[in-house]
Amino acid sequence: MTKHDVAELLPFYANGTLDAAERARVETELATCPACAAELRELEGLAASLRAHAATPDELPPHILDAALARIAAPLPATVAVTRLRTAWWGVPARYATAAALVVAVGAAAAAAYHAHEAEVTRAGDDGARQIASTTIVRNAAPPMRVTASKALNTPGGSAAAAAPADSLRTEATVAKHRLARKAHVDLLVRDVEASLKSVQATVRGAGGDIVSLADTNPRSTEAIHEAKLDIEVPADRLESTLDRIGTAGTVQNRSIEAEDVDATIVDEEARLRNLRREETDLRTLMDKGGKVSDILEVQQNLSEVRGQIEQLDAQHKNDVHRVATSTISVQITEDRPNPTPVKSGPGARIDGAWHSGVNALVDTVTALLATLVWCIAYAPIPLVLAGITYAAIRYSGRVRRAVRHPSS
Amino acid sequence: MNDADDRALLEQIAARDRVAFETFFRAHGTAIHRFVRDLVRDNGLAEELTSDVMVEVWRSAGKFGGRSRARTWVFGIAHHKAIDALRKRRATLVPLDDLLGAASEGIGPEEAALRADDRRRLDEALASLSADHRAVLELTYVEGFSQKDIAEIVDCPLATVKTRAFYAKQRLRDALETAEKHG
Repeated sequence: MTKHDVAELLPFYANGTLDAAERARVETELATCPACAAELRELEGLAASLRAHAATPDELPPHILDAALARIAAPLPATVAVTRLRTAWWGVPARYATAAALVVAVGAAAAAAYHAHEAEVTRAGDDGARQIASTTIVRNAAPPMRVTASKALNTPGGSAAAAAPADSLRTEATVAKHRLARKAHVDLLVRDVEASLKSVQATVRGAGGDIVSLADTNPRSTEAIHEAKLDIEVPADRLESTLDRIGTAGTVQNRSIEAEDVDATIVDEEARLRNLRREETDLRTLMDKGGKVSDILEVQQNLSEVRGQIEQLDAQHKNDVHRVATSTISVQITEDRPNPTPVKSGPGARIDGAWHSGVNALVDTVTALLATLVWCIAYAPIPLVLAGITYAAIRYSGRVRRAVRHPSS
Repeated sequence: MNDADDRALLEQIAARDRVAFETFFRAHGTAIHRFVRDLVRDNGLAEELTSDVMVEVWRSAGKFGGRSRARTWVFGIAHHKAIDALRKRRATLVPLDDLLGAASEGIGPEEAALRADDRRRLDEALASLSADHRAVLELTYVEGFSQKDIAEIVDCPLATVKTRAFYAKQRLRDALETAEKHG
């Protein structure tokens, strides 16, 4: 290693970031080279001056972080527009043009959203298959409050259709303002449970959701009814469309949405997390400063407790945020039978049941025997052909043997 | 705060956790602000750029691949923003003493005058260096990064970092000697 190589490594020797091998090489050189040692002393002096020069107040000016927090809370396009305006050379005209474009865009988006919503409500009002649809919003913020909005969609005619937009617009405004964890329930009556299950599963996959649990009760007995129950998670913004699609798999007997306002809970969790993390940072700083062993142990214990609280609260917070981002749907699918056999009870019914079971068993046995006979008849040509081939082969081999024994004949 | 904590926070930021975002910048915001301010030497611009760095971290936390330390990655963003801003507009040079205010509490008037004089000379010497040389000096002596980290932050080969650190120190020494002669 040349002196120049060592000189290039000295700044990083001075700041203590060289690896062991490089450090050893520099130290070997320093031991024999007074010029290198002088250079290091100069560097250390320079580093101290630069650190003193860079000394700033411990805390970041709060308005910088506040500005960043405000910007990340704002929607992306607005943030981009502000950033561009700040550095744009065309300045004022661009601001007016951008503002005008934003006003036009927001107006157009609002009009489009209103028309789309109106069309959806009209379509929903015309759907006679849905017997009951309800939306319940439960707030758990203090003071406790309960808001219920119900829509009877099977009521045809203008009054219900006219009342629906105002009602649902109010509900949507509340949804936009508060963070809601929504749960829906659908009861479906279907001809073929298996086919409907497949259709629902395909719908869930299409909506980017997951099936959390599935219980499919497919009875052996022809009298019992086939039922299935699914718990589904879908992205919150696709709840309504997924419910509509699930509804097409059969006849909707009941459909309900329950929404819990978890906004206050999430805000509270975030505030508590913020405080705990601040406390954690302070404790870490104390740890780094060192001191008596007993003090360090005490700080370490406090740090471990705070860390535990953070982990617990963080998990709870993530779960609540997940509940807002993802809605759950519980689907009950039941087989639709035109005349289900009524269930009887009592001794007479039991004797009757035994008689019916016996007759059924006899019928089953005879049916099975007949089926076996038919099976044998159907497959009879194959063994017959095989027997014919075997017989012909034996006859042929007998003839050959006789010809060998009596060649003259 | 160690690198594992920083990485965990970046993961949470990628999942849109504002509390983690705040915690991360309460830990690193001061150093980033100082680094950016010393590069662009304009307090107003430095504040805007620090805020820009924070927003960029919010947007790109999901892209942090974990190949480097989290702190190195964020300083890379800060360096890029600062150099970009310097290219776009010529920063108005403001003496750092004016930015920081008098940092001479608790010392006598003569000593304060001497220290102020030293600081002015160092400030002038730093102002005469290129942004690349100032960046490598800050990252080496103030922030204590390794040569590999600096190569990643300023996006250049390792050999360039070594050479730059060597010549930055030479230039600073020359500039200080010149300032002393004139002072």
